[in-house]
Order: sequence, then C-alpha cells, then structure tokens
Amino acid sequence: MPKLPNPVDFAVPVFILLIVIEMAWARRKAPQKYEPRDTLVSLAFGLGSTVAGLLFGGAIYGLMLWLWEHRLATVPWTWWAWVLCFVLDDLLYYLFHRSAHRVRWFWASHVNHHSSQHYNLSTALRQTWTGWLALSFLFKLPLAFAGFHPAMILFCGGVNLIYQFWIHTEAIKRFPRWFEAVMNTPSHHRVHHATNPRYLDSNYAGVFIVWDRMFGTFVPEVDEEPIRYGIVRQLGTFNLLYAVFHEWIGIAKDVWHAPWQHKLSYLWRPPGWTHDGSRDTSDTIRARWQARQMAEPAE
Amino acid sequence: MEGVWIDLAKFGVSLVSILALAWLARWLDLGGDERIRSADQARFLANAAIEGFEPVDIALDKAGIGALLRDAQGRQMLLRRHGAAWVARLLDERTEARLDRGFLTIGTGEKTFGAVTLHLGEAAGVWAAGLRRLPTAGAKRA
Ligand SMILES: [Zn+2]
Ligand SMILES: [Zn+2]
Repeated sequence: MPKLPNPVDFAVPVFILLIVIEMAWARRKAPQKYEPRDTLVSLAFGLGSTVAGLLFGGAIYGLMLWLWEHRLATVPWTWWAWVLCFVLDDLLYYLFHRSAHRVRWFWASHVNHHSSQHYNLSTALRQTWTGWLALSFLFKLPLAFAGFHPAMILFCGGVNLIYQFWIHTEAIKRFPRWFEAVMNTPSHHRVHHATNPRYLDSNYAGVFIVWDRMFGTFVPEVDEEPIRYGIVRQLGTFNLLYAVFHEWIGIAKDVWHAPWQHKLSYLWRPPGWTHDGSRDTSDTIRARWQARQMAEPAE
Repeated sequence: MEGVWIDLAKFGVSLVSILALAWLARWLDLGGDERIRSADQARFLANAAIEGFEPVDIALDKAGIGALLRDAQGRQMLLRRHGAAWVARLLDERTEARLDRGFLTIGTGEKTFGAVTLHLGEAAGVWAAGLRRLPTAGAKRA
C-alpha cells in the first residue's frame, strides 16, 4: 500500500488564491462580507488546528491502525473500496456533525467553526483546536475496525474537508436542481451557519446533502429572509484565545456551580440547556419563533 | 528530526500567508462602517439578536454605533457594533454604568465584551436610572 500524502497540503495554495478572488469580489459587491479582524481570527483558527493535528494526529492514527489490525474483514485497496470508503466516511461525518451540534461536550469544540458572524471562504478555515478533547476521532474508528485501511480513511476525510472549503461563500447563489439535490452546496451550508430560528440545527452534510434529506434534517434556503450568521450568543470579541476556549470555560463554570444531580447534564445535553431553564436552546428559540409566526401570520 | 523542520517551515509559510491575507482584507478596505440609522433598524437587530425581543423603548446612540432597548417585560438590551456586524447582550446585575452628561458608558460585566460609551443626549439620565434595577444573571426570564 503506497504512502499517501495529506491532500489538504496541496489544496492550501488554492484556498489562498480563492480567498483573494472572493475578497476582490467583496470589494466590488459588498465590502461588509469580510471583516479584517474576523478574517485574521478565522485564519489563525485554521493554522492552530493544523498544529493540533500534528500534536494529536499521530496518536489517533496509531489507534486507528491498532483497530485495523483487529479488523472484522479486509477491504481491498481497489477503486470501489475508495468510493465506498468516501461515501461511508461522509455518512460518519454527518453523524459526527449532528452530534457536534446536539451534545455540548462536542459543541464546545465545533462551536469554533460557527463563531464568526461572517460567511466567506475564510470562515471555512475556521477549524477547531480541541477536536481531540471533544473525541471527534471516535467517528473515524468504525471504518478502521470494519477493515478500511486508516490511510484510505484519512485521505477520504481530507478530500471531504477540501470539498467543504468552497461552499463557504455568498458569491454563489444556486446550482442546477440535480446538483443541489445530491451535493452539499453554498446554499445548503449557508443555512447550516445561520442563526435564524427556521434554520437552527439543519443541513449537517459534509459532501452529500442526501443524508440530511434521508434523516429529516434538511432545510432549504429561503430567498426572502436575510441570513444571520454565527452563534445564538455572538462572541462580541476578536480575542482568539477566548474564541477557542469560551465554551469549554462555560462548561467548567456551569458544572462547578450546578447542583450535584445536574452536573453531568451540562456535559452531554444540548448547548444552552440549563437545569432551571434560564437560557435558550435551539429548540426553545424555534418554539418561540413558531409561536410568534402563528400570532402574526402577516410577518 | 527532518520532519519537524518541514512542519516548522510549513507553519512559517502559513503564518506569513494568513497575515498577508488579513492585511489584504484591510488594504482592500473590507469591513465597512455600519450604523443604526433608525429605531426600526434597532428593533430588527434586537429581534435578530434575541428571538422574540420586542422593544417598547429605544435610545439610539447619536452616531448610530449602538443602542439601549427595553421590552414590555422590562428586560434591557445593549446593542453595539462588532466589526462589520452587531452584537447584543441582555443586561443583568453585573452591569456597570457611568453617566457623564449625555454620555452613558456601559459595561456588561463580561470582560471580553468590553464597555461601550453611547451618546444618548437627554435620554442618558433616564436610562442610567433604569439600569440600577436589573435582574440577577441566570434568573429565569419570563
Ligand atoms: Zn456545524
Ligand atoms: Zn461550515
């Protein structure tokens, strides 16, 4: 089996070039789509996440190899195995991503990707530093245990990540119907990054939007309603370290102050959950919004 | 050992690249100068920040960089610029307010959020008084 390079390494120059092109577009069309300080924070997130990858990637790869040595079956190194690996890895990405939004321990890491109030190509590089702590690698293990070689799994994961780069843009409106039906697109992923109540917790797809359609989490973009990006409680700062760790700090504080019987709930329940109902979750926000829609149908 | 040097070189090149991109964003004058121009806009932004927040009383900063809003339940919201976007907080007992004629400086008690000085003119005094009775943080909202 040949030693595979990290595909993301080769993609980085293209990422940079596309960001420059999108910035030029923004200058002409809508300068407020970019905010220089926000861009710097997002890019620093990207750089820091590669460092985290170097620090923890080896151990995670080792764990995958160990599982592969105890595999259930041996998947050959052929073209159909690559296709299957890519599709199954994308399904596991969907599961990872959905849990990352619904379990606070996982959200504490994934929130990094969402905490920008802007949606442009630099937002795509806003990657977490603490995925290892949030146990994101768990979702890479089943395929190794099933018999896919870890090198193949990680290569597919890299290609998946590269695909997700270009969909972080407002410069592209929509693709032909068939493409929007199958693939994750800028339109679908804008919805995922939106805080509008109608859009919360939807479109978790990586490459194929079909998973959302299959599992009932798909929401189409509505043209009449301007999208608001970011998180329900916006950061309000460009402080990089605060942006990296704020939710972990929040968890620590909540667990510390909570009554004993509720402490664990602050780790695994959805973001925003509190034992006294003093904060909003995506569900309470949507419920309130729906109630208001009923009351004033004109709006 | 060689691998470490390659990693360090990659890190260095990436660091230079991201600084160059951020500089380019500034050089291209991206970002823009957002202002609140009307009470309606403040109302829209407030509702966008906290779903269901319907202000009944609004004080706009004279330059449009922020606003104070109160809803029918007596909740008070601070709305301010954040880069090319807007950010809001419901005010609680950690709020620190300082009145200097028409200028009201408000800190939310959240260090990274910072304090903001709003030019409210004659309304400043009334709002400063209103900020003395605020609910405790985390208390259940109606
Ligand atoms: Zn997400
Ligand atoms: Zn994204």
